[in-house]
Amino acid sequence: MIRLENVSKMYGTEIPAVRDASFDVPKGEFVFLVGPSGSGKSTLLRLINRQERPERGNVWVAGRNINEMANSQIPYLRRSMGNVFQDYKLLPNKTVFENVAFALEVIGKPKHVIGQQVPQVLDLVGLAGKEDRFPHQLSGGEQQRVSIARAFVNRPLILLADEPTGNLDPATGEGIMGLLDAINRTGTTIVMATHDHRVVNAMRRRVIQLDRGVIVRDQERGVYE
Amino acid sequence: MIQRLSYAFRETIASFRRNVTLSVAAVITSAVSLLLVGTTFLIQRAFDNLLVQWRGDVGMIVFVRPDVAPEALAFIKQNLESQPNVIDVKKLEYLDKTQSFAEAQRVFAGDPTTLSLLSIETIPSQFKVVPKTTDPELVRSLANQYRTLPGVAGVSLAEDEFDVISTLSGFVRTVTIGMSLVLLAVAVILIWNTIRTAIFARRREIEVMKLVGATDWFIRVPFILEGLIQGLAGAIVSCGGLWALNRAWTSGVAGFKAGTGVSSLVVPSSYVSGIMIALLVIGAVAGGVGSGVASSKFLDV
Repeated sequence: MIRLENVSKMYGTEIPAVRDASFDVPKGEFVFLVGPSGSGKSTLLRLINRQERPERGNVWVAGRNINEMANSQIPYLRRSMGNVFQDYKLLPNKTVFENVAFALEVIGKPKHVIGQQVPQVLDLVGLAGKEDRFPHQLSGGEQQRVSIARAFVNRPLILLADEPTGNLDPATGEGIMGLLDAINRTGTTIVMATHDHRVVNAMRRRVIQLDRGVIVRDQERGVYE
Repeated sequence: MIQRLSYAFRETIASFRRNVTLSVAAVITSAVSLLLVGTTFLIQRAFDNLLVQWRGDVGMIVFVRPDVAPEALAFIKQNLESQPNVIDVKKLEYLDKTQSFAEAQRVFAGDPTTLSLLSIETIPSQFKVVPKTTDPELVRSLANQYRTLPGVAGVSLAEDEFDVISTLSGFVRTVTIGMSLVLLAVAVILIWNTIRTAIFARRREIEVMKLVGATDWFIRVPFILEGLIQGLAGAIVSCGGLWALNRAWTSGVAGFKAGTGVSSLVVPSSYVSGIMIALLVIGAVAGGVGSGVASSKFLDV
C-alpha cells in the first residue's frame, strides 16, 4: 500500500530530515512511527501525502509512484488518504456536522450522499447527538473524534495520524486509540507518528523507530523502548 | 455542477462581507479608472466628429454647388488635377451628394436644426484635397483661385478650421489615457490585495481543503469570482457615471448657438452604449485576471 525506496529529504542544504529511508507497509497494517521530536516522523507523513517531495528516492502509494505524479493528480491521491493532527485542524466557525460534511463538499459529493454518510461516521466515532455543536463547545477528545470522522468519512485506503493523542490525557488518548484500532479493522491502513510510550506499548503493533532522520529499528509487534 | 456553482457563489459573498472596506475601495477605484477610460473615448469621439471632414491629411475642401452642371464639375476636377506639384492627385477624393450627406450626419449630430435643413438634393458635394506642399501660402493662393471657378460653392482650409482643436485633442487624449492607465493599474493592485487578504483570512480552511483533496480550481474559483465581481461592479458604477456625464454634456452643448461648431461635440447614445459594453468587459477582465494571478500565486502549497 505504501512503499518508500531510499528516500531522503533535506530541509535547507545541510541537515537531512530523513535519510535513506526504506520500508513497505502492506494493506491493512497499523504502523507506529516513533522517535523524539525532530527525528523526522512528521516529514515521513508529509512525504506520503505529498505535502513534501523527496530529494532522492521514490514514494509509492497504492501502486503509483507519487513523485512522478502530475500536480493536477495530487488532489485525487489525497482523496484516498485521511489526515489526523495533534491540533485537530477543525474550522472554528463550522459545526461538527459541517466540519465533517466539508470534506465531502469540497470534493464535489452530492448533498444526499453527504446527508447519509456524515451521520453514519459521526455515529461510528461516538458523536451522535452532537452534530450541531461548535468545536469550542467540545472537549479535546471529542474534537479529535470530529477530526477522525472528517478523515474517515470518505472511506480512505490510508489514514495518516500525526501525534493524535499528543494533546490528550491518557484516558482520552486510550479512547482515540480504540477508535483508530476499530478503523484499522475495517481494512484501512494506518500510519501513526507518536512519541507516546503508553499507546505504543499497549497496542503492540509494528514499530518503525527514527533517530535524526534515520530508521534505526523496524519491528513487528514492537514496543516503544 | 449546480451544487459547485452555488458553493462558489456562497463563498464569494461571504468573503465580500468579511472584507467590506477593502472590497469597496477596490470597486470605487476601478469605477473611477473605468469612468476615466470611458470619458477618454467620449472626448475623442467628440473631437473626431469635429474633425471627421478633415481626416487623412485633408488640407482643403472644395465645395461644389448641388445644382452644378456636369461640364463644370469636370472642369473643377481637371483644374485640381492640373496642379500635381501642390496637390497630391492620387489622394484626391470626390464625395458625391450621398456621401456628403452621410458625413454631415456626424458633423451636425448635435445640431438638429441645421440637420433638418439638409437633404441629399440641397447638400453640396465636395472635393477633399490633400496638399503635397508644406507651404500654406501656396495652398491658400490656390484656394482663392478655385473660389472663382464656376460651380464652386466655397473653399475651406484646414488650418483655418481646426489647428487649435487638433492640438488640444491630442493633448487631452494623452493626458486622459495616461491617467486612466495608472488608475486601472491601481484598481488591479487593489483587487489583487483584496484577494490576498481573503486568502489569508481563509488559510485554515484552504489547508483543510487541500488535505482532503479539493482540486486547485475548486479552491481558486471563489476568489477569481470575487475579483471578477469587484471589477464588474466598478464597471457598472462607471457606466452610470458615464451616462450622467454624457447627458449633462449633451444638454450643455445644446445651449450653444447653432453653427459655432460646438454642436458637433455631441456623441450619439449608440456610441455611448458601445463604450459602456467595452467598460464592462475591461472591468470584468481586469478583475478576473488580477484575482486569478493572485490566487494562483498565494494558493501554492
